Formats: sequence, structure tokens, C-alpha cells
Amino acid sequence: MEDRNSESAPGPHHNDRVKLNVGGKLFETTLSTIRSGDSDSLLAVLSNRPTNEPDADPVFIDRDPEIFSVLLSLLRSNSLPSTARRFSKQELADEALYYGIESHLKAAMSPPPFTGIDASLVVTIRPASDGRPSAFTAASGDGSVWIAHGGQISSYDWNLVHTATIRTHLDDVTSIRRLWPEIAAIGSESAAGLHIYDISGGRHVGSTHWTDPSDPRIYKARVTAIADSPSSVFASFDCPHRENCVLVVDKSTLQITSQLGRLSGNSAKNMVPGKLTWLPETGVLVGSAVTSGAFGYSGYIRLWDPRSGEVVWETNEPGSGRSSRFGDSFADVEVDVDESILFKICSKSGDLAKADMRHLGDDPWVYLKDKNPSMRNTTGGGSSVIHCYRKQVFAGREGGLEVWSRVEGIEKGVEREGEECEGLYRRNFVDKVENSERGIIKKIEGGGDRLFVSREDAEGIEVWESSNSSVVVPVL
Amino acid sequence: MPPFVGSLPNGAGLSKPESNIVTLDVGGQIFQTTKQTLSLAGSESLISRIFDSQSGAPFIDRDPELFSILLSLLRTGNLPSKAKAFDIQDLISESEFYGIEPLLLNSLSNPSQFDAFNLEKSLVLALNGRDSPSAIATTPCGSMHVAHGSKITSFDWSLRRKSTILTQFTAVDSLLAISPSVAAAGATDFSGLQILDLQKGLVKESLNWENMTRSSSTVQAIGSSPEFLFASFESGRRNSNSIMVYDLQSFSPVIEIGQNEIYGADIDSAFPATKLNWVSCYSLLMASGSHSGPSGVLGSIKFWDIRSGNVVWELKEQLDCFSDVTVSDNLPGIFKVGVNTGEVFFADLRNFGAENPWVCLGDKRKVVNGKKEGVGCKIESHGNQVFCTKGGNLELWSEVALSSSKKSGDGSGNRVFRKNFLGRVNDMGGSKITNLAFGGNKMFVTRKDQQNVEVWQSSGRGF
Repeated sequence: MEDRNSESAPGPHHNDRVKLNVGGKLFETTLSTIRSGDSDSLLAVLSNRPTNEPDADPVFIDRDPEIFSVLLSLLRSNSLPSTARRFSKQELADEALYYGIESHLKAAMSPPPFTGIDASLVVTIRPASDGRPSAFTAASGDGSVWIAHGGQISSYDWNLVHTATIRTHLDDVTSIRRLWPEIAAIGSESAAGLHIYDISGGRHVGSTHWTDPSDPRIYKARVTAIADSPSSVFASFDCPHRENCVLVVDKSTLQITSQLGRLSGNSAKNMVPGKLTWLPETGVLVGSAVTSGAFGYSGYIRLWDPRSGEVVWETNEPGSGRSSRFGDSFADVEVDVDESILFKICSKSGDLAKADMRHLGDDPWVYLKDKNPSMRNTTGGGSSVIHCYRKQVFAGREGGLEVWSRVEGIEKGVEREGEECEGLYRRNFVDKVENSERGIIKKIEGGGDRLFVSREDAEGIEVWESSNSSVVVPVL
Repeated sequence: MPPFVGSLPNGAGLSKPESNIVTLDVGGQIFQTTKQTLSLAGSESLISRIFDSQSGAPFIDRDPELFSILLSLLRTGNLPSKAKAFDIQDLISESEFYGIEPLLLNSLSNPSQFDAFNLEKSLVLALNGRDSPSAIATTPCGSMHVAHGSKITSFDWSLRRKSTILTQFTAVDSLLAISPSVAAAGATDFSGLQILDLQKGLVKESLNWENMTRSSSTVQAIGSSPEFLFASFESGRRNSNSIMVYDLQSFSPVIEIGQNEIYGADIDSAFPATKLNWVSCYSLLMASGSHSGPSGVLGSIKFWDIRSGNVVWELKEQLDCFSDVTVSDNLPGIFKVGVNTGEVFFADLRNFGAENPWVCLGDKRKVVNGKKEGVGCKIESHGNQVFCTKGGNLELWSEVALSSSKKSGDGSGNRVFRKNFLGRVNDMGGSKITNLAFGGNKMFVTRKDQQNVEVWQSSGRGF
């Protein structure tokens, strides 16, 4: 069954063929097929063996032949055959690791590119204990996720298989950031300091606290947001008396290198940033803060240059912006790092607005409109969160999850003055009504080809993926 | 060196010399593997003997599909997912045929697979009849005995087979597994410690303590070390008590320690031990007992050197006496739940002999109008964690490894312990937990008035 013809193989030489005996079954393939694994993989090493005479006994590998036939099909066609469904993900991953073709398996098993307009809830990752996530990070781009819950951090790999859970000394981790592949920076709004943990080793590595020898009131400062650049970690610290600043911490030594934007914290314009983003393109740090009270939302967006420590641009709401939008300040702000666009979602109208970060001025906001009739009834007013991922903007309003996606191929000439973006963005619901009833969306984050959503008072984290296979519901 | 070599169980998946390859014909299907792989089965097993004897391909008249699963187990140390298509009982009997049951057990019920942070309520083992479990005992491989009423039901390590025997007790209060088929049982209303053969349902031996008053000797607690069996006896008139040490193999008495005679009202520190824990890192026996009197709950924790028969360290418990106490070798320390506060306390064994070694791990709340929150709480240690029950909830205490530069304001000195609740929201609550035990990669929980045993294990491989 495995002795397929290799006529399609390019080389006419007989030497190009490789015979393998895996667990008692004979396989025949070409050198080019088995060489496509990683260069130091078992199969690649086998292919580099000098092939003596054609009638030599095939190389014997003492492994299960059935899984090997699946992995060989993967190497031949770059996709998993349907027989792979008989094996668990973990088993395939273990076996692929053995043969050294894990990257192929990752590519074949990961979901198709994520698009918000065609995504569905595939699974809810539920940690075994204290399962309400207080923070999470979709970390590296391979679809793995780290979830902080009840003072613990659980890590799930690209297969969403649980790999480790560690207990931190904090009881409530409210911000988490992946600094290195196995190192997390965490902060809590109930305990002081920025703490670094080794996730695979389960060890506390170090801590950084904000102190000021000249001001004894700078004490027990809590971390509200963490961002990082290749060399530094940026963490916003908030003292109990609300004085705050952003500290720039060296990533390798954990020493504080500089202090940005020290503020008194006595009004909405100078409270601690709740969100920090570092833009690799310009090296600018974006911080934003939003607070809500009886008179609605207020907050600011501020851009710092970490090298000079100066504020490059800032806007406060209410206070600046268009007078027609008075009383409609933003409820959440997010930076599209790839495109250098600032997005905000308005607290009252629920409108989405964008600002090109290359041309920031007094009123850079362009309000996006969509006349999708099915979305007519959705306005702001509730709690809203936004997240930018892969040129799409995801917005959670209460429990509902919607996506604003750009329509490609619009000619510039079609745009009219005043509504230049009207044709460019379309707004759609990602979820169904029943999904929105599980609770208010607290955080949305994309990672790999997945979107992770956490909800208030709900256990676990939802994983949304796009899929190429249709959902067929038999009605009989 | 390429990375795959380290991932092999025996470091020899690739084999060049032809003589290394073994060909087997199982039920008409040809399998090839290496001698190294087969030798993992152990020299006594059938498959390792089969390739020694013959030169050609030996024929084994068994099911090839089951064999392919067991061959994968030999190769990788894990069961393949296609094993799920079979009942585990098929695999057990097939592995018994080939003589590799220990490997199967090791892959499915290995104590190293126990992951305290990832425990989920996975199974409920039903018990027949109307008695709820009174005592529970486990073996390291994961088999479990549960006493309910006058019966003891034993489950094998796969939890798929059980057997029930009838005992002489009306209710078993203390149960200890000596081996998967032998257990020691005792009751507070029945004279003598009985060594039971759980397969045949026979009393192998009945051990009695000869007390001064010549009355019956009831069993308050049973404990064991790798060599000895400990039993805490109390006389039927409740005026004397003692701890007997027996040899674990022959059950012959070795030494009697801590004999107490109670004359008149002098009850202080003469309560019988109700829990016996072996502290292997110090080779001491921890015996703890408490008494609820008019002046509150009094208790004592004594550390006995069983060679000399002397008390090495005694902790008198007066203010916030323990409701339950346990000792952890790995951490190393003693943990107790205070009967008044319901808080967990920790005493570092490195402060051995200290006057008041207890450090409160909780938030030190004030005792609210004398309500005894800790009554009935159980505390057990397993691995590097401590498990504490509070009513129907389970708390998990774990130590956080902090880097030395960090100075902690709380915890004990420089040690920090943190608490988590076990289970998901719909697993929380429930009836009060009466017993907690650990065996293999599982945790067993029994609850008040529930005629079953809950099995908690981490999801992942296996069945």
C-alpha cells in the first residue's frame, strides 16, 4: 500500500530513491521528499547516508509504521491525509518531533489564515482550577497562549495542549507579557512590582520596583500595563496615592534605565496608562488611559519617544477633537502596530474612528461608517473593547463580537470628500446571538491564526478560528 | 548529535547491524523491531524470551492489533491513541500475556504524572449499598481500597475491576494498604488491628495490644513506614493508650512506644494518637491527637524516635489546636488547619524543636464569635503540594520558588505559600469532604453521605 510510484520525482537516477523499513513495513520514497524536513532531522540525516548498491537492505527505523505513513504523506503533499484523524494531535506532534519534521506538521495542522468575517468558536480552553482568566497573552505568533488565572499561569502550546501551570506569588495577575519564549513579565493591580517568571522552570526570576530616593511616597507602586521592545520592558506603575509613571527596564539586567511621563494622577488627564504599546517602526511608545464615571468616559492617548523621554503627541477626551463629537469620548484605544493606525471606539455612539499615526494633528480622527442593516441596533453605551489583528479591528460590545474589515480593491477615485473611508471598512458580527450571552467581553487578542476572547466571570478563554471545511448539519 | 537520539526511550531507535532487528509474526502480521526495544519488557517477560530462543521469525498466536499497541508502548513509553478503541481490560490481559503489565501500569498510572495544578474531577466510582465511605487507602500504583460500612471494596489500578469483602467490623475507621491485596484495618469500637487479605476476604492476622486493664484494645490510627507498621491503640475503658510498632513483613511486635495511663483528671497530653505519619527525612514518627474538652480543644503532636522509644519533639496545642495535621517530606514541614480559625499553618521542619514554630499561611482573620471554622477540615500532603479540605471545597497550597533577591513580607521567613481552589466552578461546593487520598496519578475524594468515590486526575494521555 505504501509503495507508491515515484514517477513524479524529478531525478531519473535510481539513487534518488530511498527505501525505509519502519517497524516491519517497507516504504519507498525519494531523497527530495525526505530531505524537506529540518536539516538536522532524523530523515534528513538518513538521506545524507551514502547509498551503496541499490539492492542494499533498507534502513530500519523501530517506530510505528502507521503514523509514519501519515507523516510521509505530509512530506509528499504538505498536507495531512484523512487517515491522520485516527491519531491524536499529541501523538502526531511527538512522532513528528522524533523524525524532525515538526515544522511541517505545524504548518499542516494550524488553522487557515484568520479572518474575522469567517470565524467560529472552536474550543474554550478551561484551566483546571480557578478558571477565570485575569489576564492572558497570545504571546508568540504560533497560536500558543499563556493564561493567568487565580495567581497561576498556565501555558498552552500551538496545539492548545496544556504544557505547564505555575503558581506565582501574586494572587491576582492582571497584566502579563511574554518577554522571551519562556519568560513572562507579570504585574498585579493588588500587589506591588513588576515580576519576571520562568514559565517552563516555574521559578521567579526577578522583580523590579519603582522607588525614588528623593520621594518617600513612591512606594508599593503597582503595575497596570506592560509592553516590550527587543531591548527594554515598559511598565506603567501606579502608586497608592495615584502618582504614576512608565519605567523603562532593561530586558536582560532588569535594571531601570529611564522614567517616562511621571504624572501626579490627580485627574483623568494624568492618571496611569492602562494600555501600553511599543511601535517597532518608529520606536514610539503609545500609552492610553480611560476612566468612566457618572459623567461618562474620559481619558487620554499619549505618545512618548523613549529615547528622549519627551511626549511626541497627545490628545485628551473630552477636551479635544470635533465639537460634534462632544460627550462621545473614547471607551477603548488600540494601535494597529503593522499599519501604524490608531483606533478608538466611542463610548456613547459606539462608532469606530481611526487616525493615521504618520499624520497626527489636532483632530486626526476619521470616523468609520457602515450602513449594514443588521447592525443598526448596535450602539455604544456599554463596555467596549477593541483589538487590531491582521488589518482587522475586532470590537467587543458587551457580549457581542464584531469585526471591521477593510474591503480591498477600492479605487481612490470613488472616494468622496468627507466620507473617504466609507467604502473601505465593513462591519460584521463574528459571533451569533447565543455567543454574546456568555458574558461581557473583557479582552480580545489575536495570536497565530487564532483569536482569543475572555469574558467577565466566565471560565476559560474562547478560541476562534477560521476554517476551510464547511459545517454541514444534517436535518434528517 | 541530532536531537532525536535523546528522545528515544532506549537511545537506540536507529539500528544498523542487521542482527539487531527482530522479526515477529503475531497472528499472521509481521512486525519488526529491535532487540533493545523488546528488552525493555524485562528479562522475565514472554517477548524478551521469545527472541532469545529462536532464530527465525517466531509465531505468536495472538491478536496483531493489540500487539501493535503494546509494541508502540514499548517503543515510546506511551499508549497510542488507537488504544482508546479497546477496553483497557483487553490491554491489561494482553499485557499480562506478554509479561509487560508493569510497563502498561507505568504509562497509565505513574505517580510522576500527577499534576496538582491540572487536576480535574474525571470519574466517580459508585459503591453498592447505602453505606457512605468511612475510610480510604491507596497504594503508590494507584489501586484503592474503600471501606463502607462493614465492607471493603478494592479497585485495581485501572479502576475498572473491583472486589468487595465483608469484615468483622461494624464500620472501619482506619484503613491502610500494605500491598494491592493486603490491608490493615481497625475501628474505634472493635478490639484489635486486623490484617486482611482483600482477595480472599480472610483475616490474615489479628494484632492486639495487651493493656493493663485487660480490656479490649481499639484502634485509633494506623500508619506505616517502609519497614514498620504503626498502630495507635486505646483500651476499651479509654484510660490507657499506646502506639505499637510492628514489622511490616512478619507483623511481629517490635517496640511499644508512648504508653499512657490516665489516672483521675490528668488528661493533659495523654490523648491517644489519631493520626500517625512517618517523617522519612528525619526517620521519625509523627503522632498527633486531640481532645475536645470544656476548655476548648487541646492537642499534642509528638515526634517519636522509634529506635529508642523517646519523644524527640512535642508540640502542645492549646490556643488554636489543629483540626488535622500532616507532614511533608518534600517541602519539608508540618501543616495544620487550626480548629478555631480554619486557617492553614506551617511549621518548617528545619526549625525542629522550636517553641512555637507555627506560621499562619492565611490572611490571619480574627476569629468570628468563636465559630469553629476548622472543624472537620482535612489536610494531606502529596508531592510538593498540600491539599486542605474546607467543607466541600478543596484548597491547594503550593510553595512559590522566589529568587533569592526578593524579600517577601508575608509567608514564613523567606518561604512563600499560595492557595488555589481546586476544580472548576461546577465542581466546587458539594457535600463535606470526609476522606482524601492519593495514589498513582490520581486523587481520591469521598464526601459525606455520598455512596461513591470521586477520582481526580490531570487530563492528558491515557484513558
